[in-house]
Amino acid sequence: MIKALGNFIAIIKGSLLTTRHFMVNMWFHTLKLLRIKTKRKGAVTIQYPEEKREIASRHRSLHRLLKRDDGKPRCVACMLCVTVCPSECIFVEATEDPDPEIQKSPSSFIIDLSRCCFCGFCVEACPEDAIRMDTGQIEFAEYTRDRLIYDLEKLTE
Amino acid sequence: MSDWIIILIKIICALVWFLVIALYLTWVERKESAVIQDRIGANRANIWKFRVIGLFQPFADAIKMLFKEDFTPRFSRKFLHNLAPFVSFFFVAITVSAIPFGDVLRIGGREIKLQIVDFNVSLLFVMAMLSLGIYGIILAGWSSNNRYTLLGGMRGAAQLISYEVALGLSLIGLIMVYPSLKLSAIVHYQGELLWGWIPKWGVFLQPLGLLIFFFAALAETKRVPFDLPEGENEIVGFFTEYSGLKWGLFMFTDFMEVLIIACLLTTLFFGGWQVPWLYADGFHFPWGGQWLLPHGIVVAFQVLAFNLKVFFFCWLQVLIRWTYPRFRYDQVMDLGWKLLVPLSLINIAGTAILLSLLG
Amino acid sequence: MAKIYIDERELEVAEGTTILKAAESAGLQIPHLCYHKAFIPEGSCRMCLVEIEGLPKLELACSTQVRDGMKITTTSESVVEARKGVLECLLAEHPIDCPICDKAGECKLQDYYDEYGLFDSEFDENKEKRQKRIEIGKNLLHDQERCVLCRRCVRFLGEVTKTHELGVFQRGVRAEVSIYDGILVDNNYSGNLAEICPVGAITDKDFRFKARTWFLQSRESICPLCSRGCNIYVESHQGFSRFSLPKRVYRIRTRENQMINGFWICDKGRYDYAYLDQERLDEIRMRNSQGSVTWPEITSHIAGEIGRLYHMKRAAHIGLILQTWLTNEEFFLLDKIFRNDVNIDKISFLDPAEEASDDFLLTSERTPNKRGAKELGFDLQPADWKKFFEDVDLLFVFASPIQDGLDVGPLKEALEKIDTKILFATHNHEINSSFDIVLPMSLIAEKGGSLTNIVGSVQNFSPALDAPGECRPAWQFFIELAKKLAINFDFYNQFSSMDDVREMMKKENPFFREVH
Ligand code: SF4
Ligand code: SF4
Ligand code: SF4
Ligand code: SF4
Ligand code: FES
Repeated sequence: MIKALGNFIAIIKGSLLTTRHFMVNMWFHTLKLLRIKTKRKGAVTIQYPEEKREIASRHRSLHRLLKRDDGKPRCVACMLCVTVCPSECIFVEATEDPDPEIQKSPSSFIIDLSRCCFCGFCVEACPEDAIRMDTGQIEFAEYTRDRLIYDLEKLTE
Repeated sequence: MSDWIIILIKIICALVWFLVIALYLTWVERKESAVIQDRIGANRANIWKFRVIGLFQPFADAIKMLFKEDFTPRFSRKFLHNLAPFVSFFFVAITVSAIPFGDVLRIGGREIKLQIVDFNVSLLFVMAMLSLGIYGIILAGWSSNNRYTLLGGMRGAAQLISYEVALGLSLIGLIMVYPSLKLSAIVHYQGELLWGWIPKWGVFLQPLGLLIFFFAALAETKRVPFDLPEGENEIVGFFTEYSGLKWGLFMFTDFMEVLIIACLLTTLFFGGWQVPWLYADGFHFPWGGQWLLPHGIVVAFQVLAFNLKVFFFCWLQVLIRWTYPRFRYDQVMDLGWKLLVPLSLINIAGTAILLSLLG
Repeated sequence: MAKIYIDERELEVAEGTTILKAAESAGLQIPHLCYHKAFIPEGSCRMCLVEIEGLPKLELACSTQVRDGMKITTTSESVVEARKGVLECLLAEHPIDCPICDKAGECKLQDYYDEYGLFDSEFDENKEKRQKRIEIGKNLLHDQERCVLCRRCVRFLGEVTKTHELGVFQRGVRAEVSIYDGILVDNNYSGNLAEICPVGAITDKDFRFKARTWFLQSRESICPLCSRGCNIYVESHQGFSRFSLPKRVYRIRTRENQMINGFWICDKGRYDYAYLDQERLDEIRMRNSQGSVTWPEITSHIAGEIGRLYHMKRAAHIGLILQTWLTNEEFFLLDKIFRNDVNIDKISFLDPAEEASDDFLLTSERTPNKRGAKELGFDLQPADWKKFFEDVDLLFVFASPIQDGLDVGPLKEALEKIDTKILFATHNHEINSSFDIVLPMSLIAEKGGSLTNIVGSVQNFSPALDAPGECRPAWQFFIELAKKLAINFDFYNQFSSMDDVREMMKKENPFFREVH
């Protein structure tokens, strides 16, 4: 009996809590509607496309391939990123570079972003600092999967 | 002839009121839950970039629902499968015919009752129609021909029937106090005063009855925390095999039930369209003052009062839905059979004793 | 016999063994770069230093012979320190461009640094710049920066091929391995150089930048390109889950077998592996058939054809043209089914023509199993084709995987007159269309079995690659066929795996009892 009463009180307390939230938030919403400026807002939501959150400096976003001074990709097709990628979404094909100092360069470099989990391992693994995930681009959703397959050209843009 | 036209107008008005409010209940549900949870809620639906705090959302939902694929499983019993949502919908929608929105409106010597039909057993009628809604659930569960939906339907039926008992019993006390089964009469009785100043509302005369009725009615709506027939995101339930518009009808029926329950609560326990101390010619306050009003204003007051009360109970039900987690099935059954039914019996006995003592 | 102690372990080894060999026989690894089992130790890299009790200085494990009672330590502080020092000196002039080095992953320098080095470089000076892409052979490139001057390559060309194309020029810090007067390394064993070079100084043009070594799956097999039966590793790439690769096999490497090929294989075996992936036939083709045909269906069909002729006592109208790419077990089954049971005597061979051999490993036969066929009683003399094709109604032909070597001349016209022609093929070829049924067969690298090499050594092998598409090993088909033929059902019903067939073959033919 006492337990039932306790439950009942808990139930009432619960609805009082939600009621309080409702009332307080509603109050601030109303103030806002009346264009009265307050410090507190009625909701914690960030209205995404209009309002954007600042991206942290250590964020990971769309990949890019860095270029040498002459515009060729810095990547030497060592395939360490291919090796480390947990999603197996990088594909690199190596070719002989005409410059004997460079020797090896990628003839194709593909990242299938529809599989990428943005772990950043590829960036960590790269011995040449040739790949980075610092473009700040986080909105690259597409309507078809094949447009998410980024090749050398798209990655060096 | 003109009687018929009046009835027709009444039906149209009541149905439009009913459907529009129910439609906007979906919006209220979204917004209210958002406000409770410090969010903003659906606010993107727009017409030419006018968003108006998401007020177009219900229409967007409706359009989406219309264009969704209406998938009928190959293995279902087609006719009954299609019929089920309409059965659900119909029996809820028809209850609105018995709800009194106000007293009588006098235009050009004609007395128009603000109620579609005022028959003698309207309370029984409402209860009966609400119970018939179970058929929709059972039908949906069974005709989908999927064992999980069948189980969901069975769960639903068991739950609804259990609470039907408490629901009915909780009203007996009320009927004892207001000796009528006519909703309009019940509302009229509630216009009287107790000791000269408290309105004789059900909430004051039948507080226990109200509590039982409210809980049972919540269970009748099949919404959280009583959503065992179908928990949208985890329990496979009776309308799993539905999609598109028909699925939408089931969801919509839920909201209509919320509205009907709010109407019934208002009518039975909160004086319906009654405003305290407002009589046909204006306010007569218990402390002596009075404020006479023309007939039209009085009727407007009544209808407004009814609406406000209904909205409050809709709000309350949504609040409850967003506050509590789901009960376990055994808890639901315990609550129904071991708590509400005995309590309602006690309520009947208590009311009977009190009534006989008071003569 | 000498009793020695290595790291407190007591070992009993033959007098005159080197410490390194003794340690290896006991499973102890001593790092070494210049030492190679095939050559006389030279002692030029000094990676193998060990401490010997009673001697003031560290000694070279690769070239010091054991003495009775010698106490050797391979893990003492001074040894560890010395190894670090040696590595530091080697790496001081090493480019450490592992990302673009084909050896990475199987490079000894990498391994040893990982195991015994792990120091930070203390050299501030710039490294010496040298040439990084010098052509030194028809398949070989040399990177002078990476070379650790172990002289393995020089010794290989001096001791094994005796062609002496490479030498060490200059001295001191300028010392470098190079060719004489621009004469390239061009012998049939040059590919071995890239393999024995402990670092990535000599790289193989064929494999260069094609794949990273750690992606390759190495499985044992036997080279079928001549009848020496050199032991090899077939190294294949499984591809990536999202990206498929144009081929499976990226490299052939030698596998040590002192009885057959020592440590080496010839360049033919090493580089002519394209046939493993190119133009493979991987589906059953049947003329006038709607849709695809499954193996059981086709087997029944063929069994029906044979059975019909057999029961009409017309088995003499069945012809069989074989080649010696089949394994011993397959010849054994062929012998049993066609000669014993069905009783066919029209059997002839159509092998690729013999080519030049060299005086080391490569033989003149271009198929792996002539000897095996002979031992199983087949006559390898090509038939008198005119007589052979007289009233043949049902013809089975086994095509050689190397189609260019196959002389299809005698077949072409004869085929037109024959009712039913069945080809067992591994590759797409124009002649395939002249046959009614073409069955896709597994290659040697894709199946198990045994081969008998030119001198009569029987070697077992197991699949190194997965068979593509519907390809099947011939022996599997033979067993199924024999069961369906039901002439001697009980005999074939014992066979469910390669091993069963091999055991039976050994039982019946003493030659195969001993794996040479
Ligand atoms: S971020 Fe991770 S998953 Fe994406 S490409 Fe790089 S390694 Fe692969
Ligand atoms: S790890 Fe860096 S250098 Fe190597 S392949 Fe990837 S991007 Fe290119
Ligand atoms: S030889 Fe190649 S893999 Fe070995 S350490 Fe040098 S650069 Fe790295
Ligand atoms: S090229 Fe290779 S094998 Fe030859 S000396 Fe240099 S490191 Fe040794
Ligand atoms: S292995 Fe002994 S000195 Fe090179």
